[in-house]
Parts: sequence; C-alpha cells; structure tokens
Amino acid sequence: MSDKKRKPSRVLNWLRRGFCGTKKELSIFEEEQIQSPIRTIFENFFRKKTAVFGLIMFTIILLFVLIGPAFVELDLSYVDQTQTNTPPGMTMLAVPNELDGNIRRIEAGKSFSIGLSNDGKVYVWGNTSMTPVIDVKDAMPEEVKNSFIVDIAVGTDHVYAIDDKDNWYFWGVDRNKQNAMPDEVEELKYSDIKKIDAGNQVTGVLTNDGYLYIWGNKNLSDITVRKSYQGKIADFTFTGYNYIVLLNDGTVAYTGMEKSNAFTRIPDAISYEDPTAEVQSGVEKKKVVSIASTYDVVCAADEDGELYFWGNMTNNENAVPAHDSDIVKISAGKNYFVGLMENGEVIAWGDNALKQTDVPKNLAKYNIVDVYSGGFYNYAIDDQGNCHTWGLKGYLLGTDEFGRDILTRIIHGGLTTMTVGAVAVLISTILGVIFGGLAGYFGGVVDMIICRIAEVIGSLPSLPLLLILSSILGQRFTTEQKMYMIMVILGIIGWTGLCILVRAEVLRAREQEFVTAAKAMGVKENKIVFRHIIPNVISTIIVSATLGFATSMLTESGLAFLGFGIAPPTPTWGNMLNGANNSDVIQNMWWRWVFTSVIFGLTTISINLMGDGLRDAMDPRSTER
Amino acid sequence: MVKYILKRLVYVVVVFVILSFLMFMLYKLIPGDVVRQMLEPQRDKLTAEQYESEYNRLTASLGLDKPLVVQYYNWFTNLLKGNLGYSTTYLKDVSKIIGEPLLNTLFLNAFSSILALGITIPLGIYCAVKKKSFIDDAMQVFTILGISIPIYITALVMIYLFAVLIPIFPVSGMKAPGSTLTGFEGFIEKVYYFTLPVLVATINSMASTFRYIRAAMINELSQDYIRTARAKGVREKVVIYSHAWRNALLPVITIIISWFTSLLGGWVMLETMFGLNGIGKLMILGLTQQDYQMVLAMQMIYVIIALLGRLLTDLSYGLVDPRVRVDK
Repeated sequence: MSDKKRKPSRVLNWLRRGFCGTKKELSIFEEEQIQSPIRTIFENFFRKKTAVFGLIMFTIILLFVLIGPAFVELDLSYVDQTQTNTPPGMTMLAVPNELDGNIRRIEAGKSFSIGLSNDGKVYVWGNTSMTPVIDVKDAMPEEVKNSFIVDIAVGTDHVYAIDDKDNWYFWGVDRNKQNAMPDEVEELKYSDIKKIDAGNQVTGVLTNDGYLYIWGNKNLSDITVRKSYQGKIADFTFTGYNYIVLLNDGTVAYTGMEKSNAFTRIPDAISYEDPTAEVQSGVEKKKVVSIASTYDVVCAADEDGELYFWGNMTNNENAVPAHDSDIVKISAGKNYFVGLMENGEVIAWGDNALKQTDVPKNLAKYNIVDVYSGGFYNYAIDDQGNCHTWGLKGYLLGTDEFGRDILTRIIHGGLTTMTVGAVAVLISTILGVIFGGLAGYFGGVVDMIICRIAEVIGSLPSLPLLLILSSILGQRFTTEQKMYMIMVILGIIGWTGLCILVRAEVLRAREQEFVTAAKAMGVKENKIVFRHIIPNVISTIIVSATLGFATSMLTESGLAFLGFGIAPPTPTWGNMLNGANNSDVIQNMWWRWVFTSVIFGLTTISINLMGDGLRDAMDPRSTER
Repeated sequence: MVKYILKRLVYVVVVFVILSFLMFMLYKLIPGDVVRQMLEPQRDKLTAEQYESEYNRLTASLGLDKPLVVQYYNWFTNLLKGNLGYSTTYLKDVSKIIGEPLLNTLFLNAFSSILALGITIPLGIYCAVKKKSFIDDAMQVFTILGISIPIYITALVMIYLFAVLIPIFPVSGMKAPGSTLTGFEGFIEKVYYFTLPVLVATINSMASTFRYIRAAMINELSQDYIRTARAKGVREKVVIYSHAWRNALLPVITIIISWFTSLLGGWVMLETMFGLNGIGKLMILGLTQQDYQMVLAMQMIYVIIALLGRLLTDLSYGLVDPRVRVDK
C-alpha cells in the first residue's frame, strides 16, 4: 500500500524532470544525500493540507485585490441616492419572456422596471423591494392583474396604472404622499388624458385641455403649477426635484414656484417670454417639439432637430456624439440621454458610471423603432418587436448606504487593508528584530531596558492606546497621511512580542560555537548579530511576521470599524462594516456586512493557517503538539 | 519572598510613573487652547485688556504657565488623591462618573473570563490527552476561526443569530427602556442584557487560551517524569491532574492574566456595539466629544489595571513556582 502511494505517477515524474532536473537514482548501497533545511521546510509545509489550503486561499485573495483594482475603477466621490442599499442580484434588465414582441411601453423606477404589454398586462422585474416592507412586485393589486391596463406611470419607488374602465391603481411606497391623488384627477376619463408620468416621488397627469395636475412629495420637489399656465401646457417632464413644461406655442417654461434655479435658465431661443412685453428680444424664436429630462439636465428638441440643454451639467449631458441621421426620439435616464435616430440606430451620451450609455455594438444590426430609458436601464425595441437591453444589470454583491457597489469597495478596500497590514507588520518586524537582537546579544543594561520597555508596551491594552493615538495625532493629518500614521502606530505598538521571541532565540544562538569562532576571528559585534545570529532565528521571524500580518489587519479594521482608522470614502474592510452595527442593517441589508465579513474572515483564516503551517514546518518539535 | 514582592512592587510603581508621564505628554500634544475655550462665551463682553488679564489669570490659576514638568507633577499628585480631572461632556468630575462604567466593565470581564476558563481548561486538558481525536480536530478548526475572525464580526453574526433571527436576546442596551427594576430583579435583567456580549467575548477569547492550555499540557505530558509516574502504576487521573496539570499551570497563569487585561481592550469594541455603559464606551465618547481629560483618566485606569495584572502575574508565579521564590 505505502509503496504504491510513494511511487509518483509517470506524468508527475516527467514534469519534475522537465522543471526541476532529474534526481540522481541511488543504488541501495549509496547513502541518500542530506536534505537541505529549506527543502525540509517546504516538504513539511506542503504535507500539511490546512497550510496548503491557506496558501492557495491567500494567493487567490491577494491576486483578487491586487489585480482587481486594475479592472474596476473606484470613484471616491461617487454617491447615488437612488441606488442605496440595493440587494445583490443581476435581474434589473431581465425582461420577462411574455413581453417579447408584445411591448406597449416600458418604464423604469430606481431599481426596477415595469413593462406594459399590448394586451394590458403589467410585468415587473429588477430589484423590486423598495423598503423592507414594500415590494413593488408583491404590492401590485390583484385587480391590476385582472384588468386591461392602458397606461402606467412609474416613479422612483411608486407606480400608477389606469385601466380601460378609467380606474386608477396605485402601489409602491406611499410614505411621502406619493398616493395623494387629487379628486379631480380621479374623475378624469382616460380619453381626457394626454400623458401620465411619474418622477422622484411625484406623479403628474396632463389632460387634453392642457391642464397639468402634479402631486406627491412637496417637501422634496417644487411641483406646484402656476395657475396662469394652466390650459396652455402641451407636455411636461420631471427632473430630479423639479419639472419643466412645453407650452402649446412651442416654448418651454418653468412653471413651478421657485424663482430661480438651474432649470429656469432656459435658453432664450425657446423660452417663454413675458407676453405683456411690447418689444421682443432679438433672438430668433424656435418651436420646440419635444422635451426630455434627466435628474439634472433638460433637453429640448426644436422642429429643425436642434437640441438645447440646460440645468446642472456635470456629466457632459450636452455632448451629443456625432450622428449622421436625425434624432427622432430622446429618452432620458437618471443622468444620461439616449437618442433614437431616423435610420433606426441608437446613440447615448452622458454619465457612464454604471455602463448606462454603452450601447451594445450588435444593436446596429437591428432596425430600432423605439427606445425606453429610465434610471440606468435601457430597452430598445426593434421592428420585429424584440427587446434589446443595456445599462445596469444589477450588483453582484449589492450596494451600501450611498449606493456604491460593494464588490468594487471590497476589492479596493482589500488593497488598503492589506497594504496597511503589510507595512505595519514590516515596521514591527524590523523593530522587533533590531531590539530583540540587541537585547539578546548584549544582555546587561541594554537587555534590561529593552525588555522593560517591551513588557510595558506589551502589557497595555492596545486598542484604547491606538484609539487615543489615532484620534489625537490624526487631527493634524489628511486622509492619506492618516493611513501612513496608522501603519506606523500599528508597527510601533506591535513589535514587543517578536522582540521577546528574538531575544530568547539570540540568547540561545550566541552560546554556539560558530559565534565564538566569529568572535575569535575579530568580526565586529553588529556584524555578528545581524549576519551570523539573525539568519539562525529567521524562522521565528517569518512565522511571527505571518501571524502578525493577520493581527495588524485585524487591529486596523477594528480601528476603522470604530471610526478611528482610515476614514471613508476611502474603503477598507473595517470601515465598510462601520455602518453595519444596527439591527436594521444586520437583518434587512445583510449584504452590507456578510460579504465583507466573509472575505475578511477568509483572509485572516488563510493567513493564520499559513502561519501555523510554517511554524510546524520550521520547528518539527511543534508538530508533536 | 518578601524581597521578591518588594522588587516587583517597586518595578510597578516606577513603570506607572513613567507611563503616566508619557500619557500626560500625549495629552499635552492635543491641539487647542483650553483657556481660550473657557473664555469664549465672555469674549464679546470683555475689552482687549480685560480679556488679556482674564486670560492670564485663568492660565495662572490652572497652572498652565508653569513648566511642563511642574504641570505634570501637579496633575500626578492630583491623580494620586483620586482627582481624575473634569469631564466637559458630563460637567462633573471624572471620578464621580467613573464608578458604574468601571463596575460594568469589570462585571463583563469577570463574567466572560470565568465562562471562557470554565470551558477551555477542561477542554484543553481533554484535547491534550486525547490528541487527534475528533473533538481535538474540531477544536483545532474552531481555534483558527477564533483567532482569525475579529470580535466585531463575531458580534454581528451573534446579533444576527440570537437577536434578529431567533429573537431571544436584546440587540443592545443595558436594560429595557423605562425599566425601574432594582435589587435582585434588576440584576437578573442586567445579566439578561449582558448575555449576548459575554457570549461573544467568551467565544472570541476562548481560542487563544485553549491553544495555550493544550500546548502547555502536551508539553508536560511528554516529559520524563510523566513516563516514570505511569511506569510506577500511578492512576491516569492522578498523572494528568496532579502531575501534568499542576506543572502546566505555570505558563497558563501568565497567559490568563495578560489575557484578562488585554480583554479590557477588546471590550471597547463590544461596549460600543452593544451600547453598554462601560469605560471603553466612555472613552470613545470622550474621544468623539473631545473630552480629553476623561479620555486621559480612562487611559490611566487601563494602565493601572494592566500593571496590577502584571503584578498579579509575578506574584502568582512566586506562589506556584518554588524556583521563582529563590532570590536571583
């Protein structure tokens, strides 16, 4: 049995010969060559399954955080209020099969989309849980499923639908009066209605007579409609916290109550002028045919096909890519525009943080007849009725309280955490080796002083001391300097254990013959310590550094967890868990702490397994334990 | 023995003085002018000359005009008298607010230490005796988890399991809102609220103690005198508990006491997470409120506890190990 096991397979033998050279075959009378200690250590290490597991696991995680940042960019200032606390899942663009070839309209909310089919059925997909209690998929009333829906309006977290019998249905979040529909709207017939639309917690209905009714969260948005404009309105569109109307005379107006904001600065050529003014300004007036708006920017198209942009342009929303055909329809997502051209091609421009303007290349093969966009989700319908999607599919690991992708932050946070841990352990190892070496070799007063210092630092509870140092010294530093400061502090606090170990080893080693020989030959003392003795205690140092690496990472993340380490938005595994300490997050937003905890736990476990394996491999005596 | 104790006492006192000096200097590093802060409310009412004279008067009365060493001396003598400074958060002397939190922290610490030792000592001995048994292997896995997973992740998982998924324990706090229970019932309530944090601390600290106990036991069990005892036909129980365990106790005691003091540090995390009114939480509060006199006082308490632990280790060494008693 054992013979069979020892005999390496032929393939392995070939491989070994290929890479490591052949081993000389020994006859039974020859003595086997003595194995070098390093080789023994290697063999001992790889014989231990847990150690190998730790090594493999650690290598994988290390590669993950080292190579990952090259592929995933991290924008430290990125915040998106509509994407906060999104659970993991990639279903945001998963149009149900029943809708294919049968789409009447698609509208998107903050993290879900709703499709209306030609036979009056409503389909919901994406991340549909708006709050722990309200799910826009489950909250859909039974009547909606049984009646013929003719139109829908989808806001960020609420939905309105109207059926062929003029009944209104509401579902979704109603905390901010999203469902406060005025009575006169409820009495409207569908035939009277020109357009229904919903925005960020608000809903609007425009009648054929040009009357606009808007209701919803008045504290958030400026949604009052000035009386003087009623009856003249041809179209309206919601921005993040305002709305813009297109009037019957082809001009655009801001009809809310706010006197002046980014949206009232409408370009002169298309703006509504005071009708009482005798003299019109010199600008040639253009007639606007359609308007569309993102959260921050409004786009208006005049009858000549020229586009006007105004608002808070932060993502190049006005940088329309070169196109050779006329744009016939503009639809808008949260901070980007999508244009459908006469020749059936699609272009998109604006913010691309979530790949929402990456129009797929193969879309050019189809003749697109309609485009729906909203949030970060885009649906293009070709002339066969098939739906093509692009934009935000979802988040593999969910998002945090600021709508930031957790996977990205885990990758970048891992790099920070590991760097801090590695540098800290490097500092503490160097300090420990120097002081331990000096104390052990010189003995006497030096030994006593160093030992006492190490003892005192070592016996103080480290976390409170670290907290104080970090908060007092940290006041003078920027975030980046604070990171270096924490590395140094961790290093300075953590050297004592290794110092005592090295001292003991050096004490043992300095009594050995080769040191006496070196002394007799007149080698300088520092040289004896660092060239002759330290190499003999290197195994202790390596093991201690490996285990210390895990400890440093734990301490750093502990500091960050308490809010005294590296401060957000720079991610570390510790400060990513900072907000997780309440029952709401623990229960309802489990993805915000589970993934980070798991990868952090795996990292420290694999490092510790590796360290244990190394220690056993280097010190055969300890395997008995 | 007396000489030995005296020596350790002197050592502890010297270290205490040095550490307190370092802590005081650290405290002095904090940017900001205390006197200016105190005068801020009256600044508009005073003329420039009045302000200056008031400033100088206050500086002198607080002793801030003296050299640092003298300031330190004053502070240190105050500290010895039990005057720990004035908390700007509570508007009280620190010595008056420190009682309950200190008791809470020690309560937690003692509770979890007893629990952890009660579990790890028998388990460590068992695993050392029955090496490579199933329980031993399982404990090996457990200890790796225990030393690798930070205490706050353990806490998160435990809260999820026992306060959210199966809501038997409260998520955080010291007592039910509005509860006025006193005496025995109050104590029971407190124990109920402390169960989860104590559990977390126990789990987290068991791993390292278990490792030490097991290693120390295995080391002793491989000694020659054990073989001799067995050869002589001493009962296995006597060999394990009377021979091996008593000798293994020596390294274990060191670990236990140093672990007891280091646990205090770990409590900072748990007290914040579970909302327990302990000195760790008080310290975090002081740091966030920039109430540095309170922070300094807390740190000095940590120092005192750590040094007492150190002293206790040395003394118990003397008690357990006859060799130490012989004066070197």
